[in-house]
Amino acid sequence: MLGNYIFEAENIVKKYAAHTALDGVSVAVTSQSVFGLLGPNGAGKTSLIRIINQITAPDSGRVLFNGELLERKHISQIGYLPEERGLYKKMKIGDQCVYLAQLKGMSKKEAKSELMKWFKKFEIDAWWNKKVEELSKGMAQKIQFITTVMHRPKLLILDEPFSGFDPINTNLVKNEILKLRDEGATVILSTHNMGSVEEICDEIALLHNSKKILSGKVNEVKERFSKNQYVIDFKGSVVAFANAVWGGWEMIKREQLSKDVFRITLRLDDGVKLNNFLKHLLDHIEILSVNKLVLSMNDVFIKVISDGDGAESENVETLNAKKDE
Amino acid sequence: MSKVALILSREYSTRVKKKSFIVMTVLVPLLAIGFLVAAVYLGMPKEKDLKILVVDDSPLRVSRFLSNPKDIDRIISAKFSDESKFVDQDKTENEHYYFTAFDTSGTKTYEEALNYFKKSEKFDLLLYLPPTIDNKNPSKLNYKEPPSSVTEKNIYNMVNNIVEKGRIEISNITEKEYNFIKARVPVQSVDVDGKDNQVSTKAAVGLGFGIFIYMFIFMYGVQVMKGVIEEKSNRIVEVIVSSVKPFELMMGKIVGIMLVGLTQLTLWIIVIGLFAVVAMPFLSPDKFDPKFQSSLAESMMTEGVTNVVTENSPVQVIQDNPMLNSMMDMPWFSLIGLFIFYFIGGYLLYGSLMAAIGAAVDSETDTQQFMIPVSMPLMFAYIVSIMGINNPNSAVLNWCSEIPFTSPIVMLVRFASNNGEGLGWQVALSMFLLIVTFVGTTWLAAKIYRVGILMYGKKVTYKELFKWLKY
Repeated sequence: MLGNYIFEAENIVKKYAAHTALDGVSVAVTSQSVFGLLGPNGAGKTSLIRIINQITAPDSGRVLFNGELLERKHISQIGYLPEERGLYKKMKIGDQCVYLAQLKGMSKKEAKSELMKWFKKFEIDAWWNKKVEELSKGMAQKIQFITTVMHRPKLLILDEPFSGFDPINTNLVKNEILKLRDEGATVILSTHNMGSVEEICDEIALLHNSKKILSGKVNEVKERFSKNQYVIDFKGSVVAFANAVWGGWEMIKREQLSKDVFRITLRLDDGVKLNNFLKHLLDHIEILSVNKLVLSMNDVFIKVISDGDGAESENVETLNAKKDE
Repeated sequence: MSKVALILSREYSTRVKKKSFIVMTVLVPLLAIGFLVAAVYLGMPKEKDLKILVVDDSPLRVSRFLSNPKDIDRIISAKFSDESKFVDQDKTENEHYYFTAFDTSGTKTYEEALNYFKKSEKFDLLLYLPPTIDNKNPSKLNYKEPPSSVTEKNIYNMVNNIVEKGRIEISNITEKEYNFIKARVPVQSVDVDGKDNQVSTKAAVGLGFGIFIYMFIFMYGVQVMKGVIEEKSNRIVEVIVSSVKPFELMMGKIVGIMLVGLTQLTLWIIVIGLFAVVAMPFLSPDKFDPKFQSSLAESMMTEGVTNVVTENSPVQVIQDNPMLNSMMDMPWFSLIGLFIFYFIGGYLLYGSLMAAIGAAVDSETDTQQFMIPVSMPLMFAYIVSIMGINNPNSAVLNWCSEIPFTSPIVMLVRFASNNGEGLGWQVALSMFLLIVTFVGTTWLAAKIYRVGILMYGKKVTYKELFKWLKY
């Protein structure tokens, strides 16, 4: 399955007058995975999503869908839930869903039977003849989710799908996303909610200032950024700690937990073994606990973006490339 | 079903099913007919007797000509029909004037008469004929309630008539001689073949079509704009353009709304037609009385048409009226054909521009700056058309009938005014230019639309619109 990409974008450039929205971005999305498309506001995520949906075309670069050049015929295999989303307020919900399904190429009959299944699953079959203006925001979100997935697309693009949902419905949608993936769909998830990225994404790509600055499997990315980092709680003094180990490490953070209990977060230099490091410490301080530091995606996001803002973003990418080697 | 057809049918069916559409369909013809009936009814001279007190200070005592001079002291019936010999204009058969002379012998004066008139309820008007009657010394007509313009005109004619009669008496000519001298000969405008073309009437018919197109473009063009703004502001547009091309969405909307308009037009014609059939007999029973009709038909068969036409029959009305007569021989087939062409062409041109405006703004309140340049040529065309009735061959009208932004409204006035004779290539050019232009504006609008529908929160300037064309 690996290496089998449902979607590949190669060296995409998209310019709007003076502004470059995408600057040589390449992304490959593995089939049957949940792919997180991350980045701060204005990074170019929506531009990329619109290119996948053929709402706009790239100025240069190549876009492949399932190995073929992306064309209009692929539209029926893509489902898109935009961040700015809405429905016709005055139209009946059932009619509206059927209409949107027909636009995706389903027949009226097919659309109705498929929709009824989803309406039952979401326990909203009583809403069929209601108008959208009678619904709450959360209810409308459910309808929008259904209209995105009802035609069983191979590729689902969800832009901030959880905004507006309460925790129960968020969970419902999360489970549906994972279920759709297990049934063969691929999901591109664009979100700022790093918690959900960690929960359901298999891979991510991070865009910043119109460039891709980070990509890979979620675990690998986290591992890459947490590499050789540990949190050590100990009894004694920080001076004693520093005197015990002179080189081969770098302090990231120091906290005082009580009168003589401290927590030090540190990164070991490459080649320095944790065990050897601890051996040096044992005679000088009393070690209470040693934990490997696990960065959350949130930490990674903030770190990469703030580093990227400081340095040239290419440097981060090269750095990442080095780490990949 | 293709996607454009899907969009089109949604645009069409949601609008046609709206209550407002149904209400409009029924209400507009009813209102139109209602206004027409009201206007005709209000304009009709009323069967009303007017009692007029006459104070005659004129040395010639001209008031005696108002009726038999012997009867001057009693109420005189001066029904128009009786006195038609001196009132030869603006006969109204429905108005009756009764004149009573105020006795001015002795000391009675105009002031006294006026006082009496104020108190008395017997008289509606007081006519004062001063000692000198000429251009500088007008006769006076005092009223309690203002008289109608018809009454004013009739009294004016009557006074002039009796003054003329008085003057004839003291001149050395007979009334017969005077009537011969006094000329009121008509002048008729006819073309080189001697035909009375009733150019203004025909131009007015063209204007009727033009005004209809003007209203249609505004009403439904704005609907296109509102539809686009609705889709943009409720944020469904991005979902839809991920399924269809923006151009397909725009065209589906424009054409769908056009079909709504055509449906409305057809329904109006049907409703008005039905109403006419049902209501006409009530409005003028004698003409549509089956007895009358059958007797007319019978006698037509036996005696030939011309002999049987009674005074008020519709056939007679048409034959007598050069206006209706000339309308009958207008090229209705090409007129209606052109009407439909310019109706659709003009709508597509402006509809596409309105779609672009809708896409460029976030809400209806922001449309003003873009609506003005779009509605200006329409308004201009409207004004040119109205002025054109009086001069259908003016250069302005000729130019505006070729320029695509005004031609949908103006060309019909020009074409109708001379039955389209000799306009062949000019109509063809105008149609060609309109087609080229609406293809152009649609292309332009599509470019703005494509970018605009996904652009939020920015107040767009013309400069930016220009940039969008290059995206």
